[in-house]
Amino acid sequence: MKLSGKIYTALIFIFLFAPIAILLVFSFNEARSLSVFSGFSLKWYGELFRDSDTLKSVQNTLIVAVCASVIATAMGTAAAVGIDKLRSRYIRTALDTVTNIPMINPDIITGISMMLMFVFVGRLFGAATSLNFATILIAHITFCLPYVILQVLPKLQQMDKALPEAAMDLGCTPMRAFLKVEVPEIMPGIITGFIMSFTLSLDDFVISYFTTGTGFQTLPIRIYNMTKKTVTPKMYALATIIFFVILALMLLSNLADNDDSRQLRAMRKAKRAARRAERAAERAARLQKAPPALSARKKTVIAVSAGAVAVIAAIVMIIASSDNQPRVLNVYNWGEYISDGSEGSMDVIKEFEKWYRAEYGEKIKVNYSTFASNEDMYAKLASGAVSYDVIVPSDYMIARLVDEGMLLPLNYDNIPNYQYIGEDFRGLFYDPDNLYTVPYTYNFVGIIYDANVVDEADTGTWDLMWNPKYARQILQFNNSRDAFGTAMYRAGISVNDPDYAVWDAALESLLEQRPLVKSYVMDEIYNMMESGEAAIAAYYAGDYFTMADAQADNVDLQFYCPEPTNYFVDAMCIPACCEDKELAEIFINYMLSEEPAIANAEYICYACPNSLVTENEEYLEDMGEEALAILYPDLGSFAELFNEYAYRNLDTEHLDYLNTLWETLKIN
Amino acid sequence: MKKDLLTKRLTIAPYGAWAVLFIVVPLVFVAYYAFTDDSFRFTTANITRFFTTTANVTDETGAAREVHTYLLIFGRSLKLAVISTVICLLLGYPLAYIISRASDRAQKIIITFIMIPMWMNFLIRTYAWMTILQDTGILNNALTALGLSRIKIIGTETAVVVGMVYDYFPYMILPLYSIMAKMDTKLFEAARDLGCSGAGVLRRVIFPLSLPGVLNGITMVLIPSISTFYISQKLGDGKFFLIGDAIEGQYTANNLHFAAAIAFILMVILLICMAVMRRAVDKRPTGGV
Repeated sequence: MKLSGKIYTALIFIFLFAPIAILLVFSFNEARSLSVFSGFSLKWYGELFRDSDTLKSVQNTLIVAVCASVIATAMGTAAAVGIDKLRSRYIRTALDTVTNIPMINPDIITGISMMLMFVFVGRLFGAATSLNFATILIAHITFCLPYVILQVLPKLQQMDKALPEAAMDLGCTPMRAFLKVEVPEIMPGIITGFIMSFTLSLDDFVISYFTTGTGFQTLPIRIYNMTKKTVTPKMYALATIIFFVILALMLLSNLADNDDSRQLRAMRKAKRAARRAERAAERAARLQKAPPALSARKKTVIAVSAGAVAVIAAIVMIIASSDNQPRVLNVYNWGEYISDGSEGSMDVIKEFEKWYRAEYGEKIKVNYSTFASNEDMYAKLASGAVSYDVIVPSDYMIARLVDEGMLLPLNYDNIPNYQYIGEDFRGLFYDPDNLYTVPYTYNFVGIIYDANVVDEADTGTWDLMWNPKYARQILQFNNSRDAFGTAMYRAGISVNDPDYAVWDAALESLLEQRPLVKSYVMDEIYNMMESGEAAIAAYYAGDYFTMADAQADNVDLQFYCPEPTNYFVDAMCIPACCEDKELAEIFINYMLSEEPAIANAEYICYACPNSLVTENEEYLEDMGEEALAILYPDLGSFAELFNEYAYRNLDTEHLDYLNTLWETLKIN
Repeated sequence: MKKDLLTKRLTIAPYGAWAVLFIVVPLVFVAYYAFTDDSFRFTTANITRFFTTTANVTDETGAAREVHTYLLIFGRSLKLAVISTVICLLLGYPLAYIISRASDRAQKIIITFIMIPMWMNFLIRTYAWMTILQDTGILNNALTALGLSRIKIIGTETAVVVGMVYDYFPYMILPLYSIMAKMDTKLFEAARDLGCSGAGVLRRVIFPLSLPGVLNGITMVLIPSISTFYISQKLGDGKFFLIGDAIEGQYTANNLHFAAAIAFILMVILLICMAVMRRAVDKRPTGGV
């Protein structure tokens, strides 16, 4: 390689590996922050290995990637060989076009369209749930196939067609000519195709999201669902481990492949080739006497065996998808919304399994999955493609689910711990007769600001977010309902007003704010506030503590609650698709019992409606006075405030209208 | 010849069946949703909505004008995607050539190293870029330490393009490299012997031969970058609303039919573009050989 080439390559590699270096460094961060380095620590590696859900998702990701890439490579290579032999221009163009479709289809379309189809077919055959391991695998194979074909086909086209013919003239059977002459020629294409398939499958989020079944989450889905509560260095630790594993594998394969051994191998190969040629010549002589009837059959055998690979894979995945556990509970909750054993906390899910076994003498399995927003959860559930036993939606979404008959009434006799839920959290608008829900957490939106930047005098109301003094230091929600909410609370108009003019006015206000806004954010808020990148943001009260804990030295985060503001309740419910209502109710009851409830309240850090928690000395001590003052302000009647200021479910027309306004704001 | 026919059928049949079932049929579903309303009656309203929705936009000078919402969004997505693709191609082409001329061993090592970042989740990689590019980020801290002035990069088009180029660069390199590695260097020598200059060899021999790889590379970078929504959200300060955001937003708002319509239109436009490009390449005489 010339020097200029070396320099150029090096520069590109600096670009490619700069973020990787960041990952490596911050995986050793002592604090939770991904932007402020506070000291060396290995604790995130420990956390990672204690996090069984994440490890499980890594395993799921690998299983899908291996199956999908092997099958796609086999099928794609066969297809490329066939396409290359096609003489009909017409069929060829048709096949080329079809092959290109998954590549020129945005992944969100591929995902949605496949989900629509699987759900449709599932209903046709009366399946209760139509998405499972098979559907995500089929989807992955489908989007990998074109990459394999597009890698192999050009190799076939570049190959000298005289080569296999020459081999056959020299006595090779067509199959042998294919394996010994064509395959080595196109091997680089096959390998690249395989590696690309594997990589794409490993990294895919969108298509997996739409096609995966109940309880089967891959790593990208898990990470994406952390977007309300932010990504932790635990994930960086995982990326670092992956990096070193690959590096090690690569070094090993290179050691085994050094030049000496290659020369030796080449010599051996040459000898073998010579022997083979002799044998081929012998056989050719024989063949002249007895023409073979075998070759066509052999070809069939190969083609069939390619199909067999697919069948075996199908069987494997059926076995994999039909767990042998007798009783399974499928729980669907927000990302990072349960105490999971990290940083010495209680692993609630694992403890529940243990407790159940001790209590009832029966082994059960909890399949715990996460979602990123109420809307995502609703879309999944409404498609009828998945089935969950316990879900944890927010107030307005619960109202919608009740309206649409998607929840089952609870048998509160099975949930005796419901008695610890305070009066203030019963009979709220989404469930006025207390039939469907058990509150899990509640909280409200407040304003977090950096006291080193913001003047105390400017704080106290929503106006801070519109204060031109702090232009480009303000963060606004990156979702329509919450962003419009801030403008509507500020103007003192109802966030549930059916009058379109009210929404138009809110848009005007947001447009006026837009030049002041640094960024529209969800979980990025953590990074930006902790590092001093921004100075003002509206977010959930409980998350303020997470940020304050990880703030940089020159940042002093403070919090206040403007009035009025958004109050919300997230509650446990049982959806109509539940398959084991009794077990679901036992689980809900368990979640209300003292130990797990406290663990969850401390982990999530939102306010808790459970008096077993709020009256527990240890909890009160752990939280500290300051935090309690923020989390549990003296609100008077929570129910009154909540019923007045919480979001209500908007009908389709209003949702559509809001969405159009949101687009207008975003394109300005 | 009959045997040949059998091979052809056997090799294509599984793929053909698969393609129809899992590629074509789902597309029919997209079209079906695009052309129906909530109660599945035929309508073209979703399609017309894409082309007729307007909104008022104020530009930097404060002047308000009326724009076609979705055409504007599509235009912006296309612009960013094209810029990213061109940068990928310009950066990737020389690199692919350098790699393809290196020793076998070096080739293997370099290609593996190019792939390694892709094995680390792209959501996380994008997060890492935020740490680098933000106003108080690594890059700006480094600039300050060197006594230079800070630059505003996060939230700009540049940041979004950096993210796209970074994430999709390997998709450009791999097809380019795989076709260049196969090229016969004797052709270059021959061209030179026949009086071709270095630039001439590149233009008349190397480039035409590498066209299929260039085309694949362009497709593989352009498509994901046109429909991404994660990169633009994280690195664009949430201020770049692209066509992927529009589809996702409509889906989240439970507007599946309009989401399908946007998708359908996007798909048709891309299909036509690709068909035109491929035809143009097919019509070219295969290189100056």
